Amino acid sequence: MSVVQSRPRRAGGEAPAEARALTPDSRPWALVAAREIRVKLTDRNFLISTGITLLLILGLLGLQAFIAAREEAPEYTVAVSSSQGEVLVEQSESVLASQEDGASVTARTVADPVAARELVGEGDVDAALVQRENTWTLLSDGGPPGELARSVADAVRTSALSANAEAAGTSVADLMSGAQLDEQDVSGEDDAERVVQIVAGIVFGLLFYMASLTYGISIANSVVEEKQSRIVEILAAVIPVRALLTGKVLGNTLLAFGQMALIVGVSLIGLSFTEFDRYLPMMTEPLLWYLPFFVAGFVALACMWAAAGALASRTEDLQSTTLPLTLSLVMIFVVALNLDGVARTIGSFVPVMSTILMPMRLLEGGVSWWEPLAAFVATLAFSYLTITVGSSLYRRALMQTQGRVSLRQAMRLPE
Amino acid sequence: MLEVDAVTRSYADTKAVDSVSFTVPTGAMVGFVGGNGAGKTTTMRMIMGILAPDSGTVRWRGTELDRAIRSRIGYMPEERGLYPKQPIREQLVYLARLHGMSQGQARERISGLLERFGLGERMEDKVETLSLGNQQRGQIIAAVLGEPVALVLDEPFSGLDPAAVDQMSELLREHTAAGVPVLFSSHQLDLVDRLCDSIVVLHEGQVVARGTSEELRETGDLRYRLTVDDDAGWVRTQQGVSVLDLDGPHVLVEIEGADQRAAQRLLAEAVRRGGVHEFSRVRPSLSEIYREVAA
Repeated sequence: MSVVQSRPRRAGGEAPAEARALTPDSRPWALVAAREIRVKLTDRNFLISTGITLLLILGLLGLQAFIAAREEAPEYTVAVSSSQGEVLVEQSESVLASQEDGASVTARTVADPVAARELVGEGDVDAALVQRENTWTLLSDGGPPGELARSVADAVRTSALSANAEAAGTSVADLMSGAQLDEQDVSGEDDAERVVQIVAGIVFGLLFYMASLTYGISIANSVVEEKQSRIVEILAAVIPVRALLTGKVLGNTLLAFGQMALIVGVSLIGLSFTEFDRYLPMMTEPLLWYLPFFVAGFVALACMWAAAGALASRTEDLQSTTLPLTLSLVMIFVVALNLDGVARTIGSFVPVMSTILMPMRLLEGGVSWWEPLAAFVATLAFSYLTITVGSSLYRRALMQTQGRVSLRQAMRLPE
Repeated sequence: MLEVDAVTRSYADTKAVDSVSFTVPTGAMVGFVGGNGAGKTTTMRMIMGILAPDSGTVRWRGTELDRAIRSRIGYMPEERGLYPKQPIREQLVYLARLHGMSQGQARERISGLLERFGLGERMEDKVETLSLGNQQRGQIIAAVLGEPVALVLDEPFSGLDPAAVDQMSELLREHTAAGVPVLFSSHQLDLVDRLCDSIVVLHEGQVVARGTSEELRETGDLRYRLTVDDDAGWVRTQQGVSVLDLDGPHVLVEIEGADQRAAQRLLAEAVRRGGVHEFSRVRPSLSEIYREVAA
């Protein structure tokens, strides 16, 4: 073939000078990660949804504190018309005082039982304690509060027992000897603690599930956006495809972790202002394990999400290419929450599921030191596998622009 | 000099590109011409390493292209090619930084290029809000921002108005003037004819013609237009000449076997018979050549 050399041209001011040769950035993945983060942080939808989540958490905690503040310990007033009545009310006050919720009762002395009854009818007092012949009666309008009735009944019974015992030449203590039934809970838990464990466990699991799903779909979306707009061809000419994937996964992992840490942090700080603050210390160890499990579980799936994005060629294909991942995540979450006994223990070692179950088991206690470690190592090994498979699929399918690529086709493509 | 040497690539059972060879010499602009599906895009993607050829190689100054050299070739993919939802300057700065520029350097260079292409006012606008022509301007900036040693551009002129075509041509000429070889594909044959030092015509995955515009025209049949005093019907009896069109004293002939002597004999006979008003070589236009070779 023959070609003529360049005709005389008008030289331009912006002509590139080869002497100033540029070399591609040595850490392109860092630039890619920074772009992923910047794009997300300037995305109004992302900012709004994060803000709403935080507001919801603060709102819930605030509501909890508000209700707790309103639930002041009840102060009962009981009308009495005799000094014995006053004594009985004093005794029932000491019964109430021995209980946890801090209720108290005071006596209001009136002239006679009729006046006491009137006060009850008018709602000025919670109840009236009157004696007719040998019987004490607690008058109320619509039934007395349970704890008040129990404490007054206790006082009346003790007082009567004491009088009867004295008449029989013995004492209450002697009479009651051996009649006491003690209760003991061998689990060593209190109910509230159990509720906190369950709720915290579900919140941990839910946070991981949500983060993995939303960021996973966001990774797949950003891959297909690059593919659909063909910018991936420009990028792939400048930097290795591997760096592109690394940056994408890294950026989204940092974002997901940051958002999760923000939500957990705000929740914990909020909790410390409520009556649940006494449960914070027991969350320390599970939380310290939860963080690495979160990252490892997230990364294990991230490359697969990227591969799902690369298999699509348009945004419309994403629904079908990401379906297997979405379904797996939903199944892992649902199954994890429904396992119990030995199955649950086994599940807490299964990669990805362990991110949900191991922190739950740690919250409940009774987990040996090696168990979270073993589960974590298993997750890391699984991550290595999915990263290898995911990035290989990603590299193979990324440059295929003629429609959706099936998994089988992708496996046969050259890298 | 960029050399494409016998590259071949098949999809399933069809050979999309079949042993394609050509060179883009230093400082030359080469037009890559061919119909849809002729294999232009596939060839360019193989040059850029986006697709691996089944066989054949691409060389830069005699050595096979590797990642380091490819990263210095400015590339513009077919249609689109930027993040639609990101502001134009931001993503061009990002690309410049991937090329190894500092943030400050990148911003300065990109702002300058955007100003030059009349996008100064729209730097912060998202790409999807720009007109097709302006998106294309953004694309070409993406191709040249890394101070490329060569340019490979897939349909750089599509969707551009005449003013933008001029700006783009000027930019490409600046690069060839600085010694940068430029390869671009186009359907606009007049533009290719005007801008390019040489042309490569691809048809069904094969190079069917290449050379300068002049050379390509020379390869066509030898045709002459003759205008004489009277009726030119006698030309039909002339040996070695076939009449393509006859209209009274005007006749268009093709010289069989491109034999120059037959043409001379025709002229001599015409002079012998009376006055000759016109005897001229008729060169086919590039589009005619293209239609002929790509038929």
